[in-house]
Amino acid sequence: MIRSEGVHCEAGGFRLQGIDLEIGRGEYFVLLGPPGSGKTVFLECLCGLRRIRSGRILVGGEDVTRAEPRRRGVGYVPQDYALFPHRSVARNIAFGPEAAGLDRGEVERRVLRTAERLGIRHLLDRRIAGLSGGEKQRVALARALATSPRVLLLDEPLSALDETTREEVALELLRLQGELGTTTLHVCHVFEEARILAGRLGIMIGGTLAQTGPVEEVFSRPRTPELARFLRAGTVLEGTAEPEGDGALLRAGPIRLRSEARASGPVSFVVLADAVRLSSGGTAGGENVLEGRLIHLSPRGLFARADVEIAPGVRLEAHLPRTDPWPAPGTTVTVRFPAAAVHVFPGRGT
Amino acid sequence: MSPVRGRPDRLLAAAVFLFVGLFAAFAVVLIAADALYVDRKAVLTILTADFILDALWRSLWTSVLTTAIALLFAVPMGYALSRYRFPGHVLVDTLVDLPIVFPPLVAGMTLLVFFHQTAPGRWIEGGLGLRFAFQPAGIVLCQFVLAASFAIRSAKTAFDEVDRRLEDVALTLGCTQWGSLFRVALPLARGGILAGGIMTWARSFGVFGPLMIFVGTFRGRTEVLSTTIFLEQSVGNLEVALALSLLLIGVALVSLVAIRLAAGPPWRKP
Repeated sequence: MIRSEGVHCEAGGFRLQGIDLEIGRGEYFVLLGPPGSGKTVFLECLCGLRRIRSGRILVGGEDVTRAEPRRRGVGYVPQDYALFPHRSVARNIAFGPEAAGLDRGEVERRVLRTAERLGIRHLLDRRIAGLSGGEKQRVALARALATSPRVLLLDEPLSALDETTREEVALELLRLQGELGTTTLHVCHVFEEARILAGRLGIMIGGTLAQTGPVEEVFSRPRTPELARFLRAGTVLEGTAEPEGDGALLRAGPIRLRSEARASGPVSFVVLADAVRLSSGGTAGGENVLEGRLIHLSPRGLFARADVEIAPGVRLEAHLPRTDPWPAPGTTVTVRFPAAAVHVFPGRGT
Repeated sequence: MSPVRGRPDRLLAAAVFLFVGLFAAFAVVLIAADALYVDRKAVLTILTADFILDALWRSLWTSVLTTAIALLFAVPMGYALSRYRFPGHVLVDTLVDLPIVFPPLVAGMTLLVFFHQTAPGRWIEGGLGLRFAFQPAGIVLCQFVLAASFAIRSAKTAFDEVDRRLEDVALTLGCTQWGSLFRVALPLARGGILAGGIMTWARSFGVFGPLMIFVGTFRGRTEVLSTTIFLEQSVGNLEVALALSLLLIGVALVSLVAIRLAAGPPWRKP
């Protein structure tokens, strides 16, 4: 539905370098990247607020590279929402239909329909200044949807919300997108948000698109050690590999691990934190079963991050679900993970 | 919202209000001094003399017309200076402020020299037949030269304060740049533009110096309230001059308060 072909753009001292991305009809695509990686600049290029230096942008197969923003059929919800403070909620939602020259009755029908869909009908007469963060977010979304866009671009739509509201609104975004089927590109820098929402995920770092793919694949098979660190996918280690059976035996300092990947020579690999499980007490031995001391445990929303020292100077990171019993920090623990959780980075020693 | 205040906070409030009080008292004392000097006869004279009502009416319509013309320039100029970077931007930005700095008399002399000593000026008056020197239209021109800066400067500042992202979003919602100007930027800059209009009107209403040089004080043609005051005091009618001053102050006060009440405080955000 929306395609970016080799998009280059300069914004101040920042460069967007040859972004190739295609998002299919009805897809919910999340673009994840640290602040300052060029996500907002890319969105501005897509909706025509920023001229690109080279490349092409296509919406629904139509080349819109040189089209004005209003002729692209793209709805845009900027960060902080940019609601019109001089208009009521209803007049904000009516802005697009009015600009399209629809008659008054149709404008009002669209306002009501969109407000009902987003559950904000009771806010229609309110001024923007008195709304909460979650309400503003819904109004901004309603304003963009009232124009019936072919593609919806959301720039950090949940970043201004508190944690509880964020989860609630994220699920609502999914529900809404499921109902409407609007192709959506959602930009954010929060991993949990990306994991909840994304069908497919793209990672943008330093103005380049580092990796795209289904969300679980990107998190479990990051393309480079740098990406693995950025995604906090797990513990990145350097070592050597020798083929063994269907996979390889990896050595990193004093520890030995088995991976399903075939590799040999010097390698970088990541032990995926989501797959690492802990149990109290030490019973080391067997494949990918190690003994260590739980150094630190910090709850983070739906999971807790645990750091286990398995050898002097070597720590493994684990993400423990809420449903698992959490061992006490400072105690000896047994660490287990499957060979499939040891991902060897391609192109290094294989 | 009013926070709980401690002793140092109350001291701060007392200190700042001391200056507010001193300023307001000074203004009231000056007006009272005028009022005490004015006698009943002078009041009757200014309320009944046709030439004074004529001058008052001329002061009002010329200043209102000047304000309208100034706003007509202020909106596009303020928008251009705020939203576009173009060669000569700094120069134009400086030119806008220039009339605020130079003595008003200079404006009168400059206009007189332009219309009488330069070919374009003579062509405008002779060729086009648009007469300004010693004509009522000249009053408007003098007022515009001196006061338009306030409107333009305020409009630019008001547009600067409008978040450009709002206009950007308007473009994605189907507006042209015209649409985003009229439906987003202009309504949001309205308070600042009106404040500039008030300043322009106030300045225009009291203009005196350049009028004496460029349009003179012809009774029934170019006389305005400020020049009447000068004429009356120059022939020794000090009481009448002061009564006129009070009338000028009164009209200005009533108008300014009325405009402010109608428009809402200029500092209020929508």
